[in-house]
Amino acid sequence: MLEDKLLVWKFKHGSKEAFCRIYEKYRDDLLRLAISLLNEADVAEDVVHDVFTSFIQNANRFQLTGSLKGYLATCVANRARNVNQAYQRQQNPGLDASVPASSSSRPEKWIIISDEFRWLSNALVKLPYDQRETILLRAQGGMKFRQIAKSQSVPIKTVQSRYRIGLDKLRSMLNGEVTK
Amino acid sequence: MNTPDNIEKLIQNTVIHSNPDVNQAVLKELLQQFDNTREQKQAVMQPNIRRTIMKNRITKLSITAAVIGVVVLGLLEFVGTQSTSGVVWADVAKKVQASRGVIFRSTEHIVPDTYDQKSDFSMQYCTSTQSRLDGYKEGEIIKTIWGDCNTKTVILVDHLPSHKSYVKMTLEKMMPDRLRTADPNRWVQKFLSCQYKKLGQKTIDGVLCEGIETTDPAFYGGGNPPETPVARLWVSVETGYPVQFEGERVYDGQRHTCVQDQFQWDVELDESMFEPNIPADYIDISP
Repeated sequence: MLEDKLLVWKFKHGSKEAFCRIYEKYRDDLLRLAISLLNEADVAEDVVHDVFTSFIQNANRFQLTGSLKGYLATCVANRARNVNQAYQRQQNPGLDASVPASSSSRPEKWIIISDEFRWLSNALVKLPYDQRETILLRAQGGMKFRQIAKSQSVPIKTVQSRYRIGLDKLRSMLNGEVTK
Repeated sequence: MNTPDNIEKLIQNTVIHSNPDVNQAVLKELLQQFDNTREQKQAVMQPNIRRTIMKNRITKLSITAAVIGVVVLGLLEFVGTQSTSGVVWADVAKKVQASRGVIFRSTEHIVPDTYDQKSDFSMQYCTSTQSRLDGYKEGEIIKTIWGDCNTKTVILVDHLPSHKSYVKMTLEKMMPDRLRTADPNRWVQKFLSCQYKKLGQKTIDGVLCEGIETTDPAFYGGGNPPETPVARLWVSVETGYPVQFEGERVYDGQRHTCVQDQFQWDVELDESMFEPNIPADYIDISP
């Protein structure tokens, strides 16, 4: 979108206002994506904070070739994937079960989560991480399959398969919840 | 009963809220980081404005269309006018410089590219001080960019039905000579200032042309030149005007290719086509 391209142009030329606008425009979407991926608010908050910090630090090298939202969503997904892999290396079963306390210094919670969101997140976190990430990048990040395939470095058919299978599993889980 | 479509919509529509106080605190911290980063960069190096312009597609399109420049560098001294070929290359620069107005088509491709709303091609209309770019996709105009060197303003209009918006941008920090970095006049001058080889003759759209090619990184300039740059310029043997420009370069793993053709040189362009005509129902999204 032209507005994003203009914002990025101004941001790269030192406009604080442009950065504020980008932050306000995409902050909540990125927080939602991060917490959906990680199911842990403190870690999700740190991931989004780190993405914005990196965005600032790399402004001079940044080139927008797609949508800004897609780019930032990919950054969040990459960092979330790294966090998830780090915990897996520590042989933890999953972030939902055993995420260590965040080192965040923020005194208050950044994200305010509704019951509906928590209910959905609890189902999402039961999916394999690749399927969860694919579904969320598509549904929340607004990315196309080929963009997701590029960000995950896998063939597009793999992404489509992950999406379809993940959605079927999620449907089964949520329908099971409803019928209980 | 949830269906896959319903599930997708459920995920799309679920919202979270963020704490306004924490939002402000985080933003304040990020802005401090912003200031620190800017200060460090300024201490280390002056920004490479040209590269910034050339790497940003919107700016590049605007600048491409912005001006047909008037600067003739001293580089003509380096070019012999006693060429035995049909094209006197020094004269090409003079003819381009003297052109009252020019119309041309520009087609760009970036691979890999994830931007879906890119124009298939653009038609560009330039005088020495004004410009207009119409971006086409599937036969429809999807964007228009007006540039005015006198007022240093650029207006970008997004015609996509779902957008219908425009932004006004003032290039208050841009020096006029920097606005000329990507126009055809500049390219001709750059070609002649770089190491190049002659390609001989070929016919393009029925016009006998002579070409030159450069792989000199200096053609794209800047402190961070692209990998494997190639640029070719084809000029009509009969008229001495450029007929086709071809550029190719790799930046950050992306291959950029650009072809400019369908040139009409030294045309009188109606003033009215440079007057921004924005439909009343379009939204101003200028920040």
